[in-house]
Amino acid sequence: MIAAQAATDVGGQLLIVSVLVGAVRSGTSIFYAALGETISERAGVINVGTEGCMLAGAMSAYAVTAETGNPWFGVLGAAAVGGALALLHAYLVIARGANQLANGLVIMFLGLGLTSLFGASYVSREINGFKPYAIPGLSSIPAVGDILFNHDPLTYLSFALGPAVWFLLFRTRWGLLLRGAGERAPVLSSYGYSPERIRYIAVGLGGLLAGIGGAQLSTAVALTWFENMTQGRGFIAVALVIFASWHPLWAMGGAYLFGAALALGPELQVRNVGVNQFVLDALPYVMTLAVLVVLAKRSFQRAPEGLAEVFDAPPVS
Amino acid sequence: MTVIDSPPEEITVAPEAPTKGTNDLARRVGSWVVAYLGALAVFGAFMALKGVNPFVAYRDMFDSTLMNSASLSEVLIKAAPFLLAALAVAVPARGGLVNLGGEGQIVMGGIAAAGVALGLEGKVASGLVMVAMLVGAMVAGALWAALAGVLRVGAGINEAISTLLLNYIAIDVLLYLISGPWKDSAGFGQLASKPLADETRLPTFGSDGRIHLGVFIAMAAAVGIWLLLRSTSWGFQLRVAGGNGEAARRAGLPVAKLLLSGLITGGAMAGLAGAIHFAGVEGQLRPGMTFGFGYIGFLASWLAGHHPIRIAGAALLLGAIAVAGDSLQIDAGLPAASVNVLMAFVLFAVLGKKPRLAGASR
Repeated sequence: MIAAQAATDVGGQLLIVSVLVGAVRSGTSIFYAALGETISERAGVINVGTEGCMLAGAMSAYAVTAETGNPWFGVLGAAAVGGALALLHAYLVIARGANQLANGLVIMFLGLGLTSLFGASYVSREINGFKPYAIPGLSSIPAVGDILFNHDPLTYLSFALGPAVWFLLFRTRWGLLLRGAGERAPVLSSYGYSPERIRYIAVGLGGLLAGIGGAQLSTAVALTWFENMTQGRGFIAVALVIFASWHPLWAMGGAYLFGAALALGPELQVRNVGVNQFVLDALPYVMTLAVLVVLAKRSFQRAPEGLAEVFDAPPVS
Repeated sequence: MTVIDSPPEEITVAPEAPTKGTNDLARRVGSWVVAYLGALAVFGAFMALKGVNPFVAYRDMFDSTLMNSASLSEVLIKAAPFLLAALAVAVPARGGLVNLGGEGQIVMGGIAAAGVALGLEGKVASGLVMVAMLVGAMVAGALWAALAGVLRVGAGINEAISTLLLNYIAIDVLLYLISGPWKDSAGFGQLASKPLADETRLPTFGSDGRIHLGVFIAMAAAVGIWLLLRSTSWGFQLRVAGGNGEAARRAGLPVAKLLLSGLITGGAMAGLAGAIHFAGVEGQLRPGMTFGFGYIGFLASWLAGHHPIRIAGAALLLGAIAVAGDSLQIDAGLPAASVNVLMAFVLFAVLGKKPRLAGASR
């Protein structure tokens, strides 16, 4: 039935419009996670466990929505659980000296384990998730209306969050302190601020946003829950942050680019263009690598200095 | 404990193992016991929340993991690719490189092994096919890692990021092949490649015929890598290049070549992991067949301080936990992936216990 519906839509919608609609639709969850990871990395902590935070968010949101009937409670649950997992990461790397990359992977496995343990009973449950809300007036603008103004509430929220995080990071005193924690922690300490505390907050915020990204995926886009449903979106988000040179608005564009690649395959298939979906899936990664090659030097110069120490692994004897 | 004089502090037994006082050793053992019990307690609490009696579940997990020869072979079979995947991390780490790409290098190894089998099966002796599969897989894994290596030494792109990205490309290559050119027409709609012929699967040993040749290959690889890093000038130079690249360069060492060779050797190990899992266990390519192996290998290497022999122990531990997960599904009705919670807390206990390495985190 869905296929038939899509097929009838083909005539009415240009390929480019359909792909852009899909780009926003499937890019938003990645955008939330990338935005969170940007905040975290700006403060000097990389969280490869973003995948786990997203997964935990997706499952918690689904479960809470199923139990309460209100997806907004689901979002709150997702934010809390995603943030909590990220704080655990923060504690282990900041207070216990754990390696950031290794510990991030453990957070990923923890998220996978917890969600399969507690999510199993929700696999076949149905929920009343978020529905697309067409903004009156704006949504009837040809093409643009469909692409931007006919989405679920979490997508609209993300439109505002991108610029908001940019403002927070680059135009507020708190953003300056946060970036200071990632670049010049000793300077911060000498002025009496605690880089550690700032990092806890940044990493926690990052996990919270990744959790909301997961919630958008399970309660607004897929409307289902299954084990490991994020399927690498959290890792994509981590890669995206570098692609975007640690800039929130570039992260937004990057996320939609990934979303477009995800949406292109099905749209082409509907139009009977034979393209292997997996070739298209690989495109964003190839593109990211290509961009890194082109921007190599510049891109890594923009990296928060605190991160350089993570990437340059200590030699082992 | 027998009453013997503890050796004086200043005598070193071996260069690798600085002498610890017995008190210190006892404290270390004690803290490990506490850490592991803590991990068991946390996971037990989660199981109890799901209405499963943790004591019964742990007894079942223990019984079905370590108490009979069939399950012990299962642990060895699971641990073998983890061991190779961990070596793929340990060798580059010696040169200060972070290989997060085991996942993709393993997939490329599996693809190469399958490709060799498709091309050679029935045309040459099956023993030859096997050797070609293993060699082909090592080459494929090495090439996949070399991509990241070239990007690192050529364009200065961080290898942790590029290997992570290459993982996804490798997985897409696999999915493309088994959904297109290599699709098994007899596969009933399941994405998979044509199964290996019985005679090209790795030979098995033991009374239950489960342990395959790959288990021994993995063990030999651990010893080989250990010797290579410990006793060859290449191993020494790699460590010097990783320790202080600038100093190594001034001393006339070919730093770029050394780093590249470290990543390539690691990639070959990961490729081998893909081949033994393909030819020893699965017999055909299917989606997600090696999901998580590379990351678990990464963690096994960290757990063992990147030391090849200790890595074998870490791989066995993680293999046992994975097998325990299967028992959890069968006996307690919990999803097998739940056991990742137990694994995570064991790893937290170890990762969060290490003394701060210079520069590991501030």
